[in-house]
Amino acid sequence: MKVLMFTWEFPPFISGGLGMACYGMVQSLLKIGIKVDLVLPTRDLVYFPLSIPEDVDNLPAVFIEPKKHKEYSSISFGSVKERLDYIGITKHPESYIQLGEIKKFFRLSKSYESSEQVHWTDSDKLLDEALINLTGEEDLIRKVQEYTLRAQKVASTLKYDIVHAHDWLCYPAGMIARKVSGKPLVVHIHATEFDRSGGPGDERIHNIEYAGMMFADRVIAVSQYTAQMIMSRYIIDSGNIRIVHNAFSVKEDMNDTKQRIFKGPTILFLGRITLQKGPDYFLEVAEKVLFKYPHARFIVAGTGDMGRMLLHRSAQLRLKNRFLFTGFLNRKQVERILLAADVYVMPSVSEPFGIAPLEAMAYGVTSIISKQSGVAEVVNNVFKIDFWDTDRMAETIGYLIENPELCKKMGHDSKEEVNHILWDAAADKIRDVYIHVLEDFLATNKA
Amino acid sequence: MLNIVFYFQVHQPYRLRHFNVLDVGRNSGYFDDASNRSIMQKVAAKCYLPTNQLLLELIKKHKGSFKIAYSITGTAIEQFKQYSPEVLDSFKQLVDTGCVELIGETYYHSLSFLYDTNEFLEQVYMHRALIKKEFGYDTTTFRNTELIYQDTLSDVIYEIEGFKTIITEGVDRVLDWRSPLYAYKNYSKSLNLLLKYYQLSDDIAFRFSNRDWPEFPLTVPKFVRWIDHLTLSENQNRNQFLNLFMDYETFGEHQWAETGIFDFIKHLPAEVLKRDNLGFITPCETSEYANYQQEGISFKEAVSWADAERDLSAWLENDMQKNAIETLYDLLEKAKQKGDAEIISQLRLLTTSDHFYYMCTKYFQDGDVHKYFSPYDSPDQAYIYFINVMADIEERLL
Repeated sequence: MKVLMFTWEFPPFISGGLGMACYGMVQSLLKIGIKVDLVLPTRDLVYFPLSIPEDVDNLPAVFIEPKKHKEYSSISFGSVKERLDYIGITKHPESYIQLGEIKKFFRLSKSYESSEQVHWTDSDKLLDEALINLTGEEDLIRKVQEYTLRAQKVASTLKYDIVHAHDWLCYPAGMIARKVSGKPLVVHIHATEFDRSGGPGDERIHNIEYAGMMFADRVIAVSQYTAQMIMSRYIIDSGNIRIVHNAFSVKEDMNDTKQRIFKGPTILFLGRITLQKGPDYFLEVAEKVLFKYPHARFIVAGTGDMGRMLLHRSAQLRLKNRFLFTGFLNRKQVERILLAADVYVMPSVSEPFGIAPLEAMAYGVTSIISKQSGVAEVVNNVFKIDFWDTDRMAETIGYLIENPELCKKMGHDSKEEVNHILWDAAADKIRDVYIHVLEDFLATNKA
Repeated sequence: MLNIVFYFQVHQPYRLRHFNVLDVGRNSGYFDDASNRSIMQKVAAKCYLPTNQLLLELIKKHKGSFKIAYSITGTAIEQFKQYSPEVLDSFKQLVDTGCVELIGETYYHSLSFLYDTNEFLEQVYMHRALIKKEFGYDTTTFRNTELIYQDTLSDVIYEIEGFKTIITEGVDRVLDWRSPLYAYKNYSKSLNLLLKYYQLSDDIAFRFSNRDWPEFPLTVPKFVRWIDHLTLSENQNRNQFLNLFMDYETFGEHQWAETGIFDFIKHLPAEVLKRDNLGFITPCETSEYANYQQEGISFKEAVSWADAERDLSAWLENDMQKNAIETLYDLLEKAKQKGDAEIISQLRLLTTSDHFYYMCTKYFQDGDVHKYFSPYDSPDQAYIYFINVMADIEERLL
């Protein structure tokens, strides 16, 4: 079986949990013999034909244009990074396509119109809906336009059995691929606009999400929490939804010996500094804890549009040098900050899954996670607290500061636990989804 | 008679490197040695060396009638020694002419007066000792960092033996109807007080190369004519002092050589000295020339020469600046209690006011000036690196 997979993130090209999830998922799919042609928002028009588990690290690439591929094949690269630089994917997401390189979007609509259409079906209307909403001058929207344009080309060039698209950025691409190839489409919900915005959000994105989910042959949700959300907010038929929880791939060479940076208790926030992730609640908790335990230190690791506000507010609260910001961290630096932390806090307002706590657990860091998250459905050795209940969180941290042995034990137990939350199990479930979708699809097409 | 009092501020801070949270505890140094070196060498080549050479020639040529004054900070002198020793030698040559006054201040160009009087006094004594050691010179005029001044400062300076004169900004809201052209006294009439004539100072320091300025280009005859006009106002034969105070880096660095700034300075003294009613003296000489009862002026609030506001807002306005400086002085106190000399000296390098200037978030045209002088991408970055260093130092004190 071969899957054409569209995703916006994949290591080393990553900004959040999506890339980590795709990495673990694809690796385990490859282990059970499912091949994956991966399409990323690369600078050059390439795809990554992955066939063995090691390919997730090597990322073999093929340029769609034969001439370009010949040129690329003739170069011998010193390292994987050098090779990926050539293709243009090692940069931080959303920064690799130059605005000037993007052609006008009308090309897509035009070519779509000119394709042979006898009658205007329901699914055509949904595709039209997705494309109509994919308009705007924002950098990100234009990148998605470009990505969608390319999907058409990729989808008609390659051979595959099923199309799998992750999150709204890739839904239009997945829909186009289904239209072009006639192969069934699975869309995978890692987050909805409701989660990301923490409010009403962007109407266009809602429409694209709705169209994508309605158009798809099957919808995978990363948690019960998310399934509930898409049933109630997008009115998606529960019969079409399957829940596959994310997992965590523990690396064999993982160094998990504590390496303290600070002598006092170190409490960590790790993730994008956006409304969805609740960084403002983290600050509130820090203020409360530091009032009683001034020797504690709070670290905010990550970047995001609320970073400035958080920085200024922490200064205004005069948290001295007790509330620190790391800025953007690469993978190695993330490991180092986790090894230095005693307590990890994920105060997300709405977290469809939340893979970061699993990573913190894998490093033996005691975790406090928002009840409003999917990951809370699969872990036990953590504290689960409502994101808004900062008193409760502060009390819990205070308790852990006063009982360091207990904190250590909790961290140790959570490490044990996360070792059993494996991508292999998730991949088996995804394979089952593929098989059922293909069966249904064949049955319908026969009839 | 109107005497021009030229005073130049010579200062270089030790800039911090991009110090991340993950650098804490790694003993990897706080300062960006490479950038401090290259900036010092660049400014030495563009400003210090050519300007010192030019002024030395002018002093020799005019045989005692052309005089100037400098305040040279401790952090600048340290960096001359580290990165560009010939600059220090050329300043020594200038001082040896006898036509140059050296002015006292805090060694670290700090805001310590506002936070810790004892630390302030220590830094003033350190600077005085340094100037004595390097130049064999006893300072008698004081100027606080960036001309920051208020009444209480004069009380503290009066207690220090040897200081007779203080210089500060001629701020309109304090001067009101009075002219900055006269020598005043501080509010308790214990010290001689000189006020910067900011219009003509800034004509050279900021507007010299500004093509949008209606007076562009500024020529020597035009500038001296303006000065001459100042003497026409009713002065009852009282001697006047035109205090032209500015950053020394104006010459060749803020105003590049291509703007003609060196030619301007080169021809200015001769043009001034052509006239019998104009001359040059140094700040410490003003009190003997003041042939009248000097009026006391009270500065209840702090003033400075920075930005359009001429107050403390360049360094101490937003919460980042306040949180950073409060953290710093807390730690300095702790380090002193512990008696850790190495940490004390590192913290003192962080008391330099520039660190807080980089965190300034004021908009409009001043924001541009701050940006020009900042080694960081944004005030937020400057704050983050500073606070991370504060965390590292605190860990070392634990």
